[in-house]
Amino acid sequence: MPKRKLDPLPSAAFQILLSLAGEDLHGYGIMRQVAVQTDGRMRLGPGTLYSSIQTLLQGKFIEEVGLREDAKLGQERRRYYRLTSAGRKLARTEADRLAGFLRVARARMILRGEYV
Amino acid sequence: MSEKIYALLLRLFPSHFGEAYGDEALQLFRDRTRDEKGFFPRFRLWFDLLADLAISVPREYFYAEPELLAASSQRLGGAPLFYVAGDESPRPGALFLGGMLALAALVTFSSLLSHGGNHRPPSSSARQFQRAAAPPSSPPTRPATQAAGDTNSPGGGGDKTIASTSGQSATPATPFSPAQAKQDNSPSRTLPLRDHSLSDLSSTPQPLDTRGSTQPTQNEAVPAIAAAVQHENLNAAERQRVVDAAIANLKQHYIYPDVAQKMADALLAHAKSGDDDAMTDGKTFAKRLTTQMRDVSHDMHLELVYSEAPLPQRPAEPTPESIARFRKSMEQQNCMFEKVEILPHNIGYLKLNFFPDTSVCQATAIAAMASLNNTDAVIFDLRDNRGGFPDMVALISSYLFDYPEYLYNPREAPTPQSWTPSPVPGNRLADKPAYVLTSAKTISGAEQFSYDLKMLKRATLVGETTTGSAHAGVWHRIDDHFGMGIPEAKAVNPFSKTDWEGVGVEPDVKVNAADALQTAEKLAETKLHKK
Repeated sequence: MPKRKLDPLPSAAFQILLSLAGEDLHGYGIMRQVAVQTDGRMRLGPGTLYSSIQTLLQGKFIEEVGLREDAKLGQERRRYYRLTSAGRKLARTEADRLAGFLRVARARMILRGEYV
Repeated sequence: MSEKIYALLLRLFPSHFGEAYGDEALQLFRDRTRDEKGFFPRFRLWFDLLADLAISVPREYFYAEPELLAASSQRLGGAPLFYVAGDESPRPGALFLGGMLALAALVTFSSLLSHGGNHRPPSSSARQFQRAAAPPSSPPTRPATQAAGDTNSPGGGGDKTIASTSGQSATPATPFSPAQAKQDNSPSRTLPLRDHSLSDLSSTPQPLDTRGSTQPTQNEAVPAIAAAVQHENLNAAERQRVVDAAIANLKQHYIYPDVAQKMADALLAHAKSGDDDAMTDGKTFAKRLTTQMRDVSHDMHLELVYSEAPLPQRPAEPTPESIARFRKSMEQQNCMFEKVEILPHNIGYLKLNFFPDTSVCQATAIAAMASLNNTDAVIFDLRDNRGGFPDMVALISSYLFDYPEYLYNPREAPTPQSWTPSPVPGNRLADKPAYVLTSAKTISGAEQFSYDLKMLKRATLVGETTTGSAHAGVWHRIDDHFGMGIPEAKAVNPFSKTDWEGVGVEPDVKVNAADALQTAEKLAETKLHKK
């Protein structure tokens, strides 16, 4: 497989990295966590989800941590994913970039009324 | 049934994707159908799936191509090379299904485009940010009289104070009265301007408290000296009048009558012995009398000052217009919050040039602090801060603690308002490193802020030793050129025997004021790095 670009980091990939920052999750867990952390604005479909996961795995930004059951979701064994230190760094870089935009927006008074 | 349909749809993906993730995708589909029941969730599920297919199927194929391109760049001696997309040909069923679904995908895709799509970058973080700005429980409205206590007494450091207060007249005080504006132009002395302009504020129709000592008092009990003293060359009679007036004031107003008597005796003794005879210069004379009083009382808040510009007879009564002017001027100057920004390394920076009355500027202060809520360290730049109202000092300080902390104020005995209104709901700065930038011009309320945070070991002070003016005394006019500050309340300093009166607040890290920001930034970076 060719390596697909993570620069600029697609927002789906960024959200996946963020969702894994707290704990290891399986695919459906990631999807639900992303939905929660974006207030339901982003529901990752299987295609987007797994292609992003694949890309992030290739870049060693996340890793697989084996199969196990999720007690809440029945007997099926699920593959869990974990954020690597490189992934954490990538997420932080992206967050810094977005924070930069926020600063500019504030300086340009786009956020007037909400911030000083 | 629906699972079978989706299983078929999954075949649209390239085979390598199906092999790797087909089962997991189906599992996810089962999870969602189990969790999302009802017409609307089910509709949304299928919409999501189709939209996802429309986007990711073409993308999966698209990303398969660069492999070929990469391979084709390895030319072998100009020989033509041919590559195929895959080593298995698509099944006819898949081709047919693909053809049918391409249409569906196209329709979905175009409808997605026209509706702006679901996949927007999250804006929730910004909203949370805003939520964090929830106002703290409204801090006790501090009566403006206190401000008078803060400011209506002249600076304590004699010459030093006078020097430092001059040139600071571009304060919010200036909008008050034309008389002050006039004094503004006199470069030599602006001390009374500060006093009276702010005592103007003190009588604004805000909730007042009657805690004593705060109204500027005209010394009615003291024999008024009608004749203006020839201020450059004092003669013996004029000196005697000033000494007499000072003694009368001390006896009437000083907190400890016995000490007042001792000071009176000392002043008289010095006058009789001819110690003061050489004093023909008002400024030096005032300084000498201050020293004589302090030698006996060891009270740094006691002072006698000389003003070259005539002192107004009585502080002008504030009119609704002057109050409105003050309010407007505060608004125009953003309540003296000159800069609120986030420096590199997520260090918050607040440049505050005055601690304005919370009845006018509370909202601005809360917004400013909220916008720094998610920073990892905060720098308070008080290098150009000319003091202000203790309630604002308490409000800003409240963000640095998660419990009410006592803020020592030499002007007054502890009241419930001497504790910070902490914790502030939603505040995240209580445990973040804090830095205060000081200069030799940092004065009064700004010195209180610096002193208390230093003594509480809550902030690192970077810069120069501050002016050294606690403004703890109550102002009493003696004549057109002399006046004195007499403390009428005694606050016990929990930290040490002396405060900053006359000596200033020593920084923890001594650097030139101009370099203070850079130094503090470096300190903060190093500290954050260690974490």
